[in-house]
Amino acid sequence: MQAGNQQQRIPMENLSKPVFAQDEMGRPFIIVKDQGNKKRSHGLEAIRSHILAAGQVSNIMRTSLGPRGLDKILISPDGDINITNDGATILSEIQLNNEVAKLMVELSKSQDEEIGDGTTGVVVLAGALLDQALELIEKGIHPIKVANGYDKACKIAIANLDRIADTVHIDSENIDANLSKDSDLFRAASTSLGSKIVSKCHDQFARIAVESVLNVANLERKDVDFELLKVEGKLGGSLEDSKVIKGVILDKDFSHPQMPKEITDAKIAILTCPFEPPKPKTKHKLEVESVEEFKQLQEYEQGKFKQMIKDVKDAGANMVICQWGFDDEANYLLLSNELPAVRWVGGSEIETIAIATKGRIVPRFEDLTPEKLGHAGKIREVPLGTTRERILVIEDCANPKTVTALIRGSNKMIVDEATRSLHDSLCVVRNLIKDSRVVYGGGSAEISCSLTVTEAADKQKGIDQYAFRAFAQALDIIPMSLAENSGQDPIQTLTNLKAQHVKNDNAFLGVDCLGKGSNDMKGQFVIETLIGKRQQLLLATQLARMVLKINDVIVTGKDQY
Amino acid sequence: MSFGGQTPTVVVLKEGTDTSQGRGQILSNIDACLAIQDTLKPTLGPFGSDVLIVNEGKTTISNDGATILKLLDVIHPAAKILVDVSRAQDAEVGDGTTSVTLLAAEFLKEARQFVEEGMSSNVIIKGYRSACRLACAQVKELQIELKRKQADGTTDDPEFRELLKKCAKTAMSSKLIQVNSDFFADMVVDAVQCLDPNDLDETLIGIKKVSGGSMEESRLVKGVAFKKTFSYAGFEQQPKEFTNPKILCLNVELELKAEKDNAEVRISKVNEYQAIVDAEWKLILQKLEAILATGADIVLSKLPIGDLATQYFADRGIFCAGRVPAEDMERTIAAVGGNIQSTVSDIKPENLGQCGSFEEVQIGSERFNVFADCPKAKTCTLILRGGAEQVIAEIERSLHDAIMIVKRAIQNNHIVAGGGAIEMELSKYLRDLSRQIAGKQQLIVAAYAKALEVIPRQLCDNAGLDGTELINKLRSLHSQGETWYGLDFAHESVANNLDTFVWEPALTKINALQSATEAAALVLGVDETIKNEPNHNTIGSQPVPPPGGRGRGLPQGMPSMQ
Repeated sequence: MQAGNQQQRIPMENLSKPVFAQDEMGRPFIIVKDQGNKKRSHGLEAIRSHILAAGQVSNIMRTSLGPRGLDKILISPDGDINITNDGATILSEIQLNNEVAKLMVELSKSQDEEIGDGTTGVVVLAGALLDQALELIEKGIHPIKVANGYDKACKIAIANLDRIADTVHIDSENIDANLSKDSDLFRAASTSLGSKIVSKCHDQFARIAVESVLNVANLERKDVDFELLKVEGKLGGSLEDSKVIKGVILDKDFSHPQMPKEITDAKIAILTCPFEPPKPKTKHKLEVESVEEFKQLQEYEQGKFKQMIKDVKDAGANMVICQWGFDDEANYLLLSNELPAVRWVGGSEIETIAIATKGRIVPRFEDLTPEKLGHAGKIREVPLGTTRERILVIEDCANPKTVTALIRGSNKMIVDEATRSLHDSLCVVRNLIKDSRVVYGGGSAEISCSLTVTEAADKQKGIDQYAFRAFAQALDIIPMSLAENSGQDPIQTLTNLKAQHVKNDNAFLGVDCLGKGSNDMKGQFVIETLIGKRQQLLLATQLARMVLKINDVIVTGKDQY
Repeated sequence: MSFGGQTPTVVVLKEGTDTSQGRGQILSNIDACLAIQDTLKPTLGPFGSDVLIVNEGKTTISNDGATILKLLDVIHPAAKILVDVSRAQDAEVGDGTTSVTLLAAEFLKEARQFVEEGMSSNVIIKGYRSACRLACAQVKELQIELKRKQADGTTDDPEFRELLKKCAKTAMSSKLIQVNSDFFADMVVDAVQCLDPNDLDETLIGIKKVSGGSMEESRLVKGVAFKKTFSYAGFEQQPKEFTNPKILCLNVELELKAEKDNAEVRISKVNEYQAIVDAEWKLILQKLEAILATGADIVLSKLPIGDLATQYFADRGIFCAGRVPAEDMERTIAAVGGNIQSTVSDIKPENLGQCGSFEEVQIGSERFNVFADCPKAKTCTLILRGGAEQVIAEIERSLHDAIMIVKRAIQNNHIVAGGGAIEMELSKYLRDLSRQIAGKQQLIVAAYAKALEVIPRQLCDNAGLDGTELINKLRSLHSQGETWYGLDFAHESVANNLDTFVWEPALTKINALQSATEAAALVLGVDETIKNEPNHNTIGSQPVPPPGGRGRGLPQGMPSMQ
């Protein structure tokens, strides 16, 4: 990428040399600071170089589009290797120098944050829109007029999306029915996993996604609280070992090896104070002057420990989770009092456990009461494989909504990629619960929009006609890339599909990427969420406008690269 | 300076001091200003483009004249005047920063020929000043008052609202948000109407930026919204939704910690140890109990609220947020009432604020605390969304301009037609008037009149229209008495811009004319620059003398490589 950028760095003139900056003696004068170092390019030249930069980014992404899209290896400056085909991840790892290319990165990032899926598509589309715009600009059409035309075309395309949208069925009566292989949610989740590395355990991951989202979802309010859903990746085992745990996973073990490995019907004291005699926060000094006093101090400390244990016991707890540490003495006391304990648990984990077990976080032993204890049906310490690593699994929590997806994999890259893939499909399921409208994938929605926009083009007055046609052609890039990536002839595929769309008036025909022998995306149930697709169109159009509107670039020289 | 050739060196000033003077200096100053104008020219108007500036790794994409000039780092003393003019316009009116710079430079351009002909710059300045006075008087003559049914400051009148929206839309027409101007105009007018009509302090309109989402997902919160602050464990267990909550705003630290940093406690007896621990606990617990006793549902503090307090509040169903930025806190107070307490003792019910509803909502990837339906809502918050950070930054700047315009329109409800209409009319008026003036002033007033045409001409150029033809059309229409004819970009021709609702507050125009004239006068009035050599080690950045340049002593840095 670095090399690529060098090549097409914007050819800029030196600001100090423009004709205008000379007085009548032909002497140049300094108008702006570090004039000699500032680079400037403007007009068509600037727009062209921007579009080229954007095109280059979108070309990188193009081959990752669709179920047959390929992965990229990204090597960070520290030599870390990352293999992924998630658009947002690729772009965030690439180190870009070009300003417009950076805008593309932000574009996919905002798609990722908002929708969580379709990050590749949005970049490819924006690249195509700009590419088409370049042709128009070279014809002499004002860039802003092109952008205005794009905006109008985008509105028509979105109206068309609304028209062809379909609703998926979510069985809110019988939640478990959604887990079956032919439920809509399940199939939606598996579509989004299509292009990812996890495709070999497709069904399993789809089930993980649906199950965990449904667990935390509130179907009546159509709300999904992702705070309650944790995705935890652990090295080792194989992808098939990944599973959903209805509860919390804690990457810790019990403080003493002799403590029981399994607790049923646990009552948990969640503490944020250390298991030691309390210390004043103010700086203090205790001078021990005699043996007598020393003994007193020792007694006092002993007494404190006993008191603490007693407080915990009196509250009825049979398990302690502590944010801080405790020394061996306290550890021994806990063991002998049959209080299994976990120490050094992080603040956010403490919070998750408190929410899951409906306990209260207690800052002081004196404040422990039975009501403040958290409840969990079962707490187990589970060793992972043959490694000495252990995790704590807290299950059957008082709050049944908490859920953790545990991802296993044979190497770090696979675990990371699987985690990202699962994230995408979790987002798809969540979006469907929020808004159950979908459009069909495989480029069918784009083809349909492209046809509608082309049709509308002829009705436009003036220059908008050109912009409309360019917009339609840009939309075609998605099905074409899909076809290309799956080894089909892109143009032939596209023209065939378009003909069929018009002939059968069927908006659900898309590219048959997986070679299933059918172009009916509805039949294959290849879906994408309506809000995701809408967002793609809107964001890509917005970016195109932003880039087209720039016609002057001033780079300060200090920023040499 | 402009001697050229070989002049014997008489050293009066310190070596390296750059002096330039005389007519040459005025001319070169004018040229410098024109160079600045050149940079800004393409950004004017609805078809104006943006400028992308990379400054020390930070990218800004903007169309706002003041922003561009600020980032350009102008050091030329004369050109700097233009920057200051645009900044003054920004501070005073908030919009029209590009046009004021363009006008000032154009005035200078017109003055150039007179200077070259040897006319005293004082004569030119005088002529410009009187032309400016006449023009401003004419704007006041022509301006149209926006009718408002109730004169008592309530802005509920839907008709008046529509008028304000028109003004906001004109201000946005050159910006990135042009296509969504309907949506944003509504938002801006709502926002301004939230403010106290008596002083309309626009700093009370908070603008929060969340990247992601489309622009139309931006929203206006009639009240306050701010980003979730850093929270401690236990925060998630607090209730996140209230109706009619009581809000307590504090400037108190609620943490278990040493009261004094440098104090040291000497403990002589073991049993005193516990007493001190207890005393510390008591201090914080007392504070917490006092807060609880006030009956507040939401506790906000500028200072940290520690984990202990967070959990204490969670247990009692109180929401808390610590480390709230001071600015957000002030706006919260303005919205919900009450006042900031710096101690927890003796808090009276009237010190608590109240609002209709409170909620923590997820916007994009951020969580926001939203206080809505505030009774004393003198403030509001715009939450802006957009595809990229730069997009949102530009939306913010555009909205700022629009907000200022709406504010001006409310305060001073006189408008004129935009799109070059008012400039054409003033130009015609001054031209006609100049014929009645005897002497040199006639030429100068006529030059002023001609300079005003730069606005419509540049608007045409930027839109790729035939400027000469359209301006001639406008000239003839204006001379026939069609006061409000200006450029109409939708039809690429001319139209009555009062009817097409391209409106601008008259104040913006008057201010622009005045400051542009002042700036021009200032540049024309300078005929000598003495610039002291900056302290050493900057020799490299000295102006490079052209071959055969100044005849001073050493050939310091002969034609160097650029």
